[in-house]
Amino acid sequence: MTQETIETVTRERWARLGTAGSTRSKKRRTGIVRRPKTGMLFVAPAFIFVAVFVLFPLGFAVYMSLTNWPLIGSYHFNGVHNYAALGKDPGFIHSVLFTLLYTGIVTIPILVLGYGLAVLVRSNRRGSVFLRTAFFLPYVIGLPTLSYIVLLELQPNSGAVNWVLAKLHITNGATAWLVNTNLALAATCILVIWFASGLTMVLLLGAMQSISDDLYESAAVLGAKWWERERYVTLPLVRPTIALSLIISIIGSFLAFNQFFILTQGGPGTSTFTVVMWIYQTAFVQLHVGAAAAMSVVLVAVVGLISFVQFLLLRSNT
Amino acid sequence: MASTAARTGQAPGKGASSRNSTIIYVSIGTALSILFLVPLVWAVLRSFMQPSDITAAPSARAFSHLTVANYSGLITGSIHILRYVGNSFLVAAGTAVLTAVLATLAGYGLGRTRFRFRGSNVVFALILVTLMVPFQAILTPLFLELSFLHLLDSRIGLVLFYSTFNLPFGVFVMRNSFMAAPTELEEAAYCEGAKVLTALRTVLLPLVMPGVATTMLYAFLFAWTEFLGALTFITNINRLTLPVALLNVETGTFGHVNFGFLIAGAVMAMVPCAVLYIALQRFYVTGITAGGIKG
Repeated sequence: MTQETIETVTRERWARLGTAGSTRSKKRRTGIVRRPKTGMLFVAPAFIFVAVFVLFPLGFAVYMSLTNWPLIGSYHFNGVHNYAALGKDPGFIHSVLFTLLYTGIVTIPILVLGYGLAVLVRSNRRGSVFLRTAFFLPYVIGLPTLSYIVLLELQPNSGAVNWVLAKLHITNGATAWLVNTNLALAATCILVIWFASGLTMVLLLGAMQSISDDLYESAAVLGAKWWERERYVTLPLVRPTIALSLIISIIGSFLAFNQFFILTQGGPGTSTFTVVMWIYQTAFVQLHVGAAAAMSVVLVAVVGLISFVQFLLLRSNT
Repeated sequence: MASTAARTGQAPGKGASSRNSTIIYVSIGTALSILFLVPLVWAVLRSFMQPSDITAAPSARAFSHLTVANYSGLITGSIHILRYVGNSFLVAAGTAVLTAVLATLAGYGLGRTRFRFRGSNVVFALILVTLMVPFQAILTPLFLELSFLHLLDSRIGLVLFYSTFNLPFGVFVMRNSFMAAPTELEEAAYCEGAKVLTALRTVLLPLVMPGVATTMLYAFLFAWTEFLGALTFITNINRLTLPVALLNVETGTFGHVNFGFLIAGAVMAMVPCAVLYIALQRFYVTGITAGGIKG
């Protein structure tokens, strides 16, 4: 059927339904047959997936966190023991502090660089589409692959990073980045800024492009310089999106795993273990599943709280 | 897009100031795009170098005898990389299809007044809440649950897991797509006596196809690049996905790491993503700006 025929048929049907519907349905709009059961059937599969693979494991995590669950064997309840023990687990505390430090280092550079990139590519100049693609590409390729690439280039005496630094006479080119905590952290932060600033750029780009041109024209008429237009027009109007990208970026940093797992395996020692790595280690290497579950519950609560703030921001935004 | 130039707040200025801003745009744009892209291009070049050149300092000499030895070694050697590429592709394609089917059905059920049922808002909210639950934090209970369901070490298990965590975004996109699609066509189809699924497939699907494409693209790229879940749920070496299989290349056999294999494998993981994204970025960017929820 072509679109035209469908439309003609529709109009005829509507005309007929107009009278039939009004007599049949008392409270609903003309012609709409309600099928709540069909609706339920449509939504059921997706809901079952979410219930089975998210809601149930979430509840299960809370349950396990109240036991001394080993991966294999019997268990008994031990109340909030696992939670109390978190405070005495130096590995966990260190991983929390390390994750916070890492988050503190990368968040602002990602925002500033992402903002700058958005300003650069927001106009429809020649090449802006290419630039947008280029800046966002690392995010699409994903951290595992980027980490493998960086791993090779950080090798002492052969990696390109060391080669460039040696050519610039900054180092002798033999730096073993990944066996030194501070250097490994620095290298990983740069990797992540490269990876994540494109996402912030895309988010801010959408916000900047939805600002009415009239505002800029009025500002220009009033004699505002370009930086004044940025300061008094753009910045206030994209502020909610800045908050949104900050939150997305902070949650991402709290959940860091891939880059450290691939680049340092948490080393040297356990100095670059993130929270998620420590949970993984506790559950699947030490097999203290109850303790790992307690850490998971804390992490879910923290991330959930941050997401809730995001939700409130989004709602006040729209 | 045509009007973005006018909406950008760029000075409508003339002469010197406009020329200056063009110079700044071109120079910063060039410098930054080099900074962002050179490591990726370099990785591709690296993957064609001989192993001895990869473990030596970069030099012009290395480019004079490029080779496909890393790729042929990965494919024909003991690593059997194509097995992992195949696993990754199966899992990613399966995730894309399953997510699209589930999200389309749910989006139709939630996006139409005709289908509203008591509690439909609660169900939608519960599905969206999944966004706030990081899968990284519930790996342990998921591991036990998948083990109980005999879905550990299974590519199907991985597909179910990935699809679930793509659902909030997919349902959100599909619900919006259906809400934006006109109702007249399907009403007509129903009056013609069409069954609900027939109407969905023949009349509505063409209208919401961009949403389906966005959902599938996200799901595919998510599954293709996911690492932690695959690392946790798959231990049988034959069923690993590509990003996790590369970890074995990184650790090497007998402590010897073949960096040529590692970089060639990373390029094999990178190229499909880059190509898909560049070809379909229209759908990708729609997704981000529509949702603003993908972290």
